Amino acid sequence: MYLAINPADDLPIYRQIMRQIMDAIAGGRLQSGERLTSHRELSEQLVIAPLTVKKAYDELEALGYIESQRGRGTFVSARLPRITPAVRTAQLKVAAQALLSQAYLAGLEYSDVLRVIKDADRELTDGPVQPQRKAQ
Amino acid sequence: MTTPASIIEFNDVARSYKKDKPVLDGVTFSMQPGEVVALLGRNASGKTTLINLAMGMLFPHRGTVRVFGMSPIDEPVVVKSRIGYVSETQVLPPGSRISELIAFHRYLYKKWDIQLEKDLLRRFGLSNNDSRIKQLSKGQARQVALLCAVCHRPELLVLDEPAGGLDPAARREFLETSIQLLNSEGSAILFSSHHMGDVERLGGRALLLDAGKVRIDSDLDALRENSCLAVIPQYAVTNLSDIQKLDGCLGARSMTNDWHAIFRGTPVETRAKLLAAFNVEAQCVRIPLEELFVELVGGDRSAGAV
Repeated sequence: MYLAINPADDLPIYRQIMRQIMDAIAGGRLQSGERLTSHRELSEQLVIAPLTVKKAYDELEALGYIESQRGRGTFVSARLPRITPAVRTAQLKVAAQALLSQAYLAGLEYSDVLRVIKDADRELTDGPVQPQRKAQ
Repeated sequence: MTTPASIIEFNDVARSYKKDKPVLDGVTFSMQPGEVVALLGRNASGKTTLINLAMGMLFPHRGTVRVFGMSPIDEPVVVKSRIGYVSETQVLPPGSRISELIAFHRYLYKKWDIQLEKDLLRRFGLSNNDSRIKQLSKGQARQVALLCAVCHRPELLVLDEPAGGLDPAARREFLETSIQLLNSEGSAILFSSHHMGDVERLGGRALLLDAGKVRIDSDLDALRENSCLAVIPQYAVTNLSDIQKLDGCLGARSMTNDWHAIFRGTPVETRAKLLAAFNVEAQCVRIPLEELFVELVGGDRSAGAV
């Protein structure tokens, strides 16, 4: 799992971690039952305080996306939380309107928006574009 | 009263260097075991004075300072043996060799983790380097200071602008070591820094000093999530003090033709509050920590001012 954090983002670091893990679950890059990086490893990998990782994991667990098993680690939930289709559609519509309004103000067309959504979908499934590493 | 569980306890502490010019004026705060506290504030806001008081290098003119429940002035040896300290202005003996300096520290402390010493020497690339301190780069010297500060596994690590003057890679290495210490020991850390990125990475609580007083004492994430910047046109509100008087206002200043104010609360709540108070549509947005800091302690930039 590749996570990137940006302290200059307007979301706190623990929220950035939450969002990226939820994106990975939504895009199928993290499967139910898959083990997440441990608090300690992730803290040292991202060079952030262990409590920040714990906070992100605790919140995700409270939302039902992951579950921690004493002594074994933290895993993506076997049964992910689902909300009713009506509520989901309503929430999505609000987000879609905001997206469209932003696009039209920027002078984009409806078809441009569709293309952006397609790109975003691909990134959600394949993961964000990772920084190039030099070949060994 | 001081509870023995607190790592640091300041109660109404005041200290000045010149008569009637207090550097710290009525500072009260406490730190619990394992807590990380970032000391923020402009230059000359009293950060180093606060740290020097906690280290027992200064005595307070008013109020009490307790570290591990003791006075660091009366019990200097016991208190210092449980603290690790690194500062930007720290002077290591220039003629001493790295190995001599480490041996000296090893001798000073009862418990010393020789394995950690070896690990850190390797990590810092100093394993086969026994130069004199004066031959080291600024970054290397600071790494040696950090090694001497952490190998006795202190309960409290005090870092006064530890990354000052270091390049980004050296700063990151420094941070990595501090975080590993947090992971393995759960040591409490009190640190001051002007690098907001580093502050966010270490997380914890922010203590913002302004003109010798504690302006903000808040969990960092809570501060980030539950505060916003409101931009209010000056034609709509005449007096800055009317904004400052509003509930939840953490600070306000003049910016060309607008007032910039930081409010506790979400952008939606704040917009509603300003609409109710002044009948004005203010733009309210969440901002990164660095911007928040500048808005809170930066100077006025009124129209016409240079």
